[in-house]
Amino acid sequence: MRRTAALLCLALTLAVAAAVAFAQAPAPAPITVVSAQGRRNLAVATVNGGDYLALDDLAAALGLALRDDRVTGTTTVSASGRSAVLTPERNVVSAQGRLVSLAAPPLRQDGRLVVTPEFVTRVVSLVLDRRVDFRRGGRLLVVGDLRVPRVVVRGEFAANAAQVTLEISPATETSVAQSPGQIVVTMAADALDAAVPSVPAQGLLQGIRPGDAPGTLVITTGPRFATHRATVQPVDAGTTRVVIDLMAAGADGLSATPPTPPPATPAAPTTPTAPDPAPPLLDPVTAGFRTIVLDPGHGGDANGTEGPGGTLEKHITLQVSRRVKALIESRLGLRVILTRDDDRTLDQDARAALANNNRANLFVSIHANAAVRASVKGAEVYYLSVDRASLESRRAVQQPNAPMLPQLGGGARALELILWETAQIRHLEQSATFATMVEASLRSKVEMSPSPVQQAPFRVLVGANMPAVLVEIGYLSHPEEEKALASAAHQDKVAQALFDAISAFRTQVEKTTP
Amino acid sequence: MTGRRVTIIAVVAAAAIGLGWVMFTALGRQLATPTPDAEPPPPRPAAGSTVEPHIAATLFFVAEDGVRLQGAPADVPLRDTPAAQARALVEAQLATDAPAPLVRAVPAGAAVRSVFLTGRDDAYVDLDGAFVSGLGGGSHNELLATYAIVSVITTNLTPVRRVQILIDGREVETLTGHVDLREPLRKNEALIRTP
Repeated sequence: MRRTAALLCLALTLAVAAAVAFAQAPAPAPITVVSAQGRRNLAVATVNGGDYLALDDLAAALGLALRDDRVTGTTTVSASGRSAVLTPERNVVSAQGRLVSLAAPPLRQDGRLVVTPEFVTRVVSLVLDRRVDFRRGGRLLVVGDLRVPRVVVRGEFAANAAQVTLEISPATETSVAQSPGQIVVTMAADALDAAVPSVPAQGLLQGIRPGDAPGTLVITTGPRFATHRATVQPVDAGTTRVVIDLMAAGADGLSATPPTPPPATPAAPTTPTAPDPAPPLLDPVTAGFRTIVLDPGHGGDANGTEGPGGTLEKHITLQVSRRVKALIESRLGLRVILTRDDDRTLDQDARAALANNNRANLFVSIHANAAVRASVKGAEVYYLSVDRASLESRRAVQQPNAPMLPQLGGGARALELILWETAQIRHLEQSATFATMVEASLRSKVEMSPSPVQQAPFRVLVGANMPAVLVEIGYLSHPEEEKALASAAHQDKVAQALFDAISAFRTQVEKTTP
Repeated sequence: MTGRRVTIIAVVAAAAIGLGWVMFTALGRQLATPTPDAEPPPPRPAAGSTVEPHIAATLFFVAEDGVRLQGAPADVPLRDTPAAQARALVEAQLATDAPAPLVRAVPAGAAVRSVFLTGRDDAYVDLDGAFVSGLGGGSHNELLATYAIVSVITTNLTPVRRVQILIDGREVETLTGHVDLREPLRKNEALIRTP
């Protein structure tokens, strides 16, 4: 009797726990099929921890015909004379005479046949004879060659100002328009693979959501919003950045729209309320060490130097830069921008300009070297020499009577007019410090040249308005070092050394920055 | 007798003073600073051949350590204007093979198109495209080739303090993507090894 009661209690406890777990499990977000015919949301079921779509829903969305064969237990999916035959519980599907092996098989779930997104991209694409991509982040199934750029949205919010940044890749023609109650960002796209964060509603901005029209994003403005500024610029190989500043009435000298009182109950008193406390400035530079620009030397028509074995500098520099980028992004969580992420020609000013435009905290140009004496080898680190930097240009940097500029959130700040030719001068001390840290880090992992840290008038460093160095990771003219530089193992060592130095420099900067 | 002897001595003295004036004043105007460590004049050529005066100059090559420049003495033809002298120095730098164990810092086969001097102690050296195409890339090669040209002028024509390299008559940003050549450069002592 007591045993029966105990078993009943246990069963009851398990049932309650299962019910609670079931109740807490969020329903999976739908997957949207995007095709030339439009968009359609498909419900998703979670089976064995994976996403599954009902095959009949998919067929309706994509115009597929389904036919069950009760004798063989198979189902045929067809369209325009092309077909695939699947068997529930089996990973192998016959599609257009080819056998396709799937990671997860089609299943029967509540009397319906369900399939994974992989089934759609690998099997249905053969039936449709069209490319099908699954964008896991945006939960999109893109059918055909449509323009569906990935859009990452970030926001920074203060009392009197807000900034919304969109990073769109691949680069896409974009426009921003303001209309009552909203700002609409329109991209030349058939759909957006957008990761839109939830935004707490506040006076300036109420929310961000995909628009009803294809390729649009809507920023819903709040009662205190007066106007906006938008800049659209290419920032990376294949990326467009849109920065939208939302301003409250009265901020930045604006007074076109009288400030709307904050929402209040009808019985709220009409006495003036105390002004908001001074908002933090929306200045990513002061918000910490966040962005690093890596500059793979040369590219495109400019091969750089060539080793005796045919290794090209432009390829080595890109490979190492990508390794450093991956390390920083995965381990420090910082934003890393490559001046080029493919084999393209890039002029010298564009490299530093990219760093300046993104308010990078650090600029590292990566090169491989060559010498007329084949015996010379080892890595070197350079920072800018100020040989020709005249006192006049220094004074220009430190303008005592710089013009003042009204700023977001009220107040004013000195307008920072910096001559391109003198941009690096005021960062030389930090550049020298960082160069020493890079040298020490590289020395622990690879061989250094007899002149490991030097100053030189390198063109790419001149216009960088942040600490900047040029690293020569080794001599391609040395036959053994050429082989090493081309190897993944050596590139990993170099990348790790650069990562360590960047990490240490970041720590030092953040310690000394109030 | 005494008067004749006095006359002869006076004429000889006047001739010597005149010759001295010509050598030290007129020539000194052309070369602001005479080379201090002039070597003894070369042996007299055979009778009938023309004598071309030279200056004892310093040319720059890659040192044995492979990472710096090192000076080496060389005779360079004397020219009658500083600009012509600067050109002769660069021509010698481009044409002279390095004495062992040094090696060339500048590409063989490159040529000077022209050299200009300004009143601000700057020199502009216009080289042909072979100076770029012969370099082969790498910031190290570019640094040494650039500063070999800068050093050969600023060391041997001391009134010139800065040198800008032009290629095929035009200002260039860099030779192979590294050294900023948009303005004249001063001599870089850190890049020069003292033997």
